[in-house]
Amino acid sequence: MVHRNPFLIALLAFVAGIGSASAHPHVWVAVRSEVVFRDGKILGVRHAWEFDEMYSAFATQGLGKAGKPPTRAELEPFAKSSTETLSEFDYFTFAKQNNAKVAFKPPQDISMEADEKRNVTLRFFLPLETPVAANKPFSFQVYDPTYYVSFGLENKEPVTLARAPAGCSLSLVEPAPLLATDNQKLGEAFFQNMSPGADFGVKLATRAIVACP
Amino acid sequence: MKYSKLLFFNILAVMFVAALLVEPALAQRHPFAVGGSEAAGAPSGLAGLLLTWQAKFHAALQAAARGLKDDPAAIATLLGSSFAYGVFHAAGPGHGKAVLTSYMVANETALRRGLALAGFAALLQGIVAICLVGVAAQLFRATAGQMNDAARLIELASYAAITALGARLALIKGRALRAALRTPTPAGRFACESIDDPADGHGHVHGPDCGHFHAPEPASLIASTFSWRDALATVVAAGLRPCSGAILVLVFTLSQNMFAAGVAAVLAMSAGTALSTGALASLAVHAKSAAMRWSGPESRRAQLIGRGAEFAAALLVLLLGGVLLAGYGLSRGGA
Repeated sequence: MVHRNPFLIALLAFVAGIGSASAHPHVWVAVRSEVVFRDGKILGVRHAWEFDEMYSAFATQGLGKAGKPPTRAELEPFAKSSTETLSEFDYFTFAKQNNAKVAFKPPQDISMEADEKRNVTLRFFLPLETPVAANKPFSFQVYDPTYYVSFGLENKEPVTLARAPAGCSLSLVEPAPLLATDNQKLGEAFFQNMSPGADFGVKLATRAIVACP
Repeated sequence: MKYSKLLFFNILAVMFVAALLVEPALAQRHPFAVGGSEAAGAPSGLAGLLLTWQAKFHAALQAAARGLKDDPAAIATLLGSSFAYGVFHAAGPGHGKAVLTSYMVANETALRRGLALAGFAALLQGIVAICLVGVAAQLFRATAGQMNDAARLIELASYAAITALGARLALIKGRALRAALRTPTPAGRFACESIDDPADGHGHVHGPDCGHFHAPEPASLIASTFSWRDALATVVAAGLRPCSGAILVLVFTLSQNMFAAGVAAVLAMSAGTALSTGALASLAVHAKSAAMRWSGPESRRAQLIGRGAEFAAALLVLLLGGVLLAGYGLSRGGA
């Protein structure tokens, strides 16, 4: 009998849609990461995450003197509270070696800074649970499975290697030509990538692959 | 029960479950949360399509807010995209929609009243965000951490309000259902046959009321259950928690010395949200009245279905409040 009432069907479809699509990115992050090596082993990843203007305005709200951007010390409490629950989200960093998941330990050297335009960058070093040998391909992605945050790689040299053995190379496998600072393209990229049941966060995440001889 | 009726109740049930599933990561506190704990599910199909629109409007909104300083004409774009964002972001927090719909099923049949409640809830949500940022940030120069703390307190209050509303509704509706179950079968096709009561499974009831009972008009029963106090409690429970998007726009415009534009944008967002929740509210009204109509408004079965649905909806509100409070406790404990 439902088919007798097209208005109801339309309403139902609309409501079902808004019911399940109520969350989407509120925060945009441009990622710059450095893979840190020591003695031929990979120790972990050093992240620098630059936040969008709106979240930056939120983070710097009430801070900074005489119109100047807040100092590192002023931002410290917020940097600390933001990183407290990172572990519940796997630090938004998903690493693999030999197709097996590689776990991280809680972040170290946490700091947050604001540039002249008051845009904030969160920096921290994410050590691997146990350092892994560099001679097997190591890869990682940065994304938010809940898609509250849209992570994207920085335009220029988003991933670098620090103290890497000679001959190591880095390659980026991008899901689509999507860049963090280019939010205008986000809509189109969605349509290109969308498939039913897709996890947007991981679908749009670039994979960085480190290969050493 | 006919197939169509079953189908309808299935749809109703699915709707509630969908509304509840909006917050799958309840116990998790997002590191970069703004205001409350808002999380996403995995989108698919139509939901995925709507999500792309939402993201587009959010991006447009951000761009317009950025452009406002150089180009005052951007205010039109800002208001337009804020309204559209409100429509697609719907009630922001998913539980607001669940509370409102449940309340509609438990109480309302008057569509206009439901739409008014949806409108007030959306407006309250906008006003709470404006007050939070206006007072805390503008007057007291609160930091992000302090605003998050304030938002968490508001969140806790809204969860408590939901639980209290659910408990009250469950009590009232539980009594009404019990009364309906005790009411003897009215005269009609199934006169003196108690088909709905397993306790009298032998077919005939020979009580003194047999054949003499007239079922009360559903309308009179429903009208008698409306209370402004409950309606107000619903508006508060559904709309108290501010949404991240509104807080972000307000804080951003405040940082650009254009707070008034932010306030206008948030009110436009509320109007859009009211449209979506209004659609949900009218669906709830339609679903219930259609189910009662199709089962015959005068029949005992219609009475039982109506009272049963009301009681179930009341229990859902109570359950939702309990789950939200438990999730709040867990995320606090973990932090």
